Amino acid sequence: MAYKGNRINPRKFEKGQLKIVLAILPLVLFMGLPIIFIFSHAFKPMEELFAYPPKFFVSNPTLDNFSKLFKASRMAGIPMSRYVFNSILVTGIVVIGSIILSTAAGFALSKLKFKGKFVLMEINQGALMFVAVAVMIPRYLTINFLGITNTYLAHILPWLATPVALFLIKQFIDQVPDSLIEAAYIDGAGDFKVYTKIILPMIKPAIATAAILIFQQVWVDLGTSNYYVNDEGIKTLAFYMNTLANANNTVAGQGMAAAASLIMFLPNLIMFILLQKSIMNTMAHSGIK
Amino acid sequence: MSKKAKVKKVKLGKLEKREARYGYLFILPWFIGVLVFLLIPLVQSFQFSLADIRMTPFGRLITFVGHENYTQIWLEDKDFPVMLVSYFLETLLSVPIIVVFALIIAMLLNGRIKFKGAFRLIFFLPVIIVSGPVMLMLTGQGATTINTMNVQAINSALNQFLPQYIAKSISEVFGNMVTILWYSGVQILIFLSALQKIDASLYEAAKMDGGSEWECFWKITLPTIKSMILLNAVYTVIATSNNESNPIINIIQNAMFAGNKGYGYASAMAWMYSVAETLIIGIVALVLVTKRDAYDKQVKKVKKDRVKQNRAIKRARRRGRRNDGKIKKALNSK
Repeated sequence: MAYKGNRINPRKFEKGQLKIVLAILPLVLFMGLPIIFIFSHAFKPMEELFAYPPKFFVSNPTLDNFSKLFKASRMAGIPMSRYVFNSILVTGIVVIGSIILSTAAGFALSKLKFKGKFVLMEINQGALMFVAVAVMIPRYLTINFLGITNTYLAHILPWLATPVALFLIKQFIDQVPDSLIEAAYIDGAGDFKVYTKIILPMIKPAIATAAILIFQQVWVDLGTSNYYVNDEGIKTLAFYMNTLANANNTVAGQGMAAAASLIMFLPNLIMFILLQKSIMNTMAHSGIK
Repeated sequence: MSKKAKVKKVKLGKLEKREARYGYLFILPWFIGVLVFLLIPLVQSFQFSLADIRMTPFGRLITFVGHENYTQIWLEDKDFPVMLVSYFLETLLSVPIIVVFALIIAMLLNGRIKFKGAFRLIFFLPVIIVSGPVMLMLTGQGATTINTMNVQAINSALNQFLPQYIAKSISEVFGNMVTILWYSGVQILIFLSALQKIDASLYEAAKMDGGSEWECFWKITLPTIKSMILLNAVYTVIATSNNESNPIINIIQNAMFAGNKGYGYASAMAWMYSVAETLIIGIVALVLVTKRDAYDKQVKKVKKDRVKQNRAIKRARRRGRRNDGKIKKALNSK
């Protein structure tokens, strides 16, 4: 613990780091495999995509797959930008909305006292276990009943209350010391102020983790587009990429699928890079422990 | 729980009432969401699992059949029960592997090294990729098995002293080792954020007293992040079970649209699947549930003693009152 300060990386390479780096490097290579694969696969020319035995690395990279993908999207009736817009809108609202819902609910479940709290907790625990496939059709019936098929709401509402996010966030709120909250009450803060001024800043890492999790789930989800929406104009990018790759699931489709999966993957990468800073180094703000 | 509720039958004060109101206020939006999009569909799917559902041109035709779907699955289906058992064993085996692996990686990444951000990125990203269709391509390319790890040798060794179905799922776990490790990204993140919250002065104090890093790990790190270990284990079970590449999910999905089985049959499968999942989580929780430390134990003992004393005092008083009454009666009658 000789190193002081709150930057993530020490500025210089020290001898003490060597053993950790040595331990990590082989694991990094091994975990990096899918990332390398997804990049190299997207740039493979046709003959390499179907080479037998399959090749892992690309030897003659081309942009062929991408140009084919864009050509195909130009021929379709609805421009690709529409799908991109839909996806960004839906994912953005879902991430923000469900973070607000689950932090508020987590705060109530963890720190406030009211009747029925334990029952609600059990409900959440039980809901965690249930597979999404099983509630697909009843969910459709509900959405139909509410009359929101073919609207953006059909994309957004089913995702808003995510049991996994609540579970994760509640565990972190449990660790916020009660004395901090009591001190705030004594100073005259209401529950809402405690929520915004104490709970939210203190569980930033959990919020970041949950946000990444929800983003990734919603971004690649096909279910809502497949089952609850008929109008082509409000389906999401994930659905579009999937149909492009599947519609002409012949030889040409393979290349496009590879390019499409790279395009779908990039936003995840950016999202993670943006949020990962707040996962680290929160001790500086947290006051007491 | 019910015991607690009985003890707590005291009328709420003004402050508590206000707090309770805020509690409901905070939880209400979430609860509505869960009610409409999860609870009601869940109840419906349970109803469906007890019925035979046919889609006709005139709408849905639902006939109540009782437990028939369930018995049919166990007696006649040739895939589902076998898959369920192997899923159960495989998940039980892979959960500790993932959690321990994630903890080790998180500890390493929490150290002071250069390019930490980049390392963290690499460890997390597989989760994103694995959840997509890319996974199929990867398995096709043979990237998910370690060639040097000779699975065959392990298999034959296992087969000698274990019954066949257990040996099979163990070897399955070994075969999919790479995939299992790729799923550990979120767990690494959760552990990292827990490790970040441990107060550095604790370690400093331990170092002053001459504790080695090994001791620090067992005496400080592990107890502090205990609850996170439980969280991670539960999350792992849920993530691996509800993943779309899980074969059982595929079976359920296929049954849903198959002509001879229908939605009721698929619902029954899904319900049994979630019961199995709950069982696994129960086992995990039993193993990992946070045991109270010595201080908590003492506090509990003192509290218990006090309750006992109070009860004794009350009993003595009651007896005294009764005796008073008796004495009075006796005096009156005289």
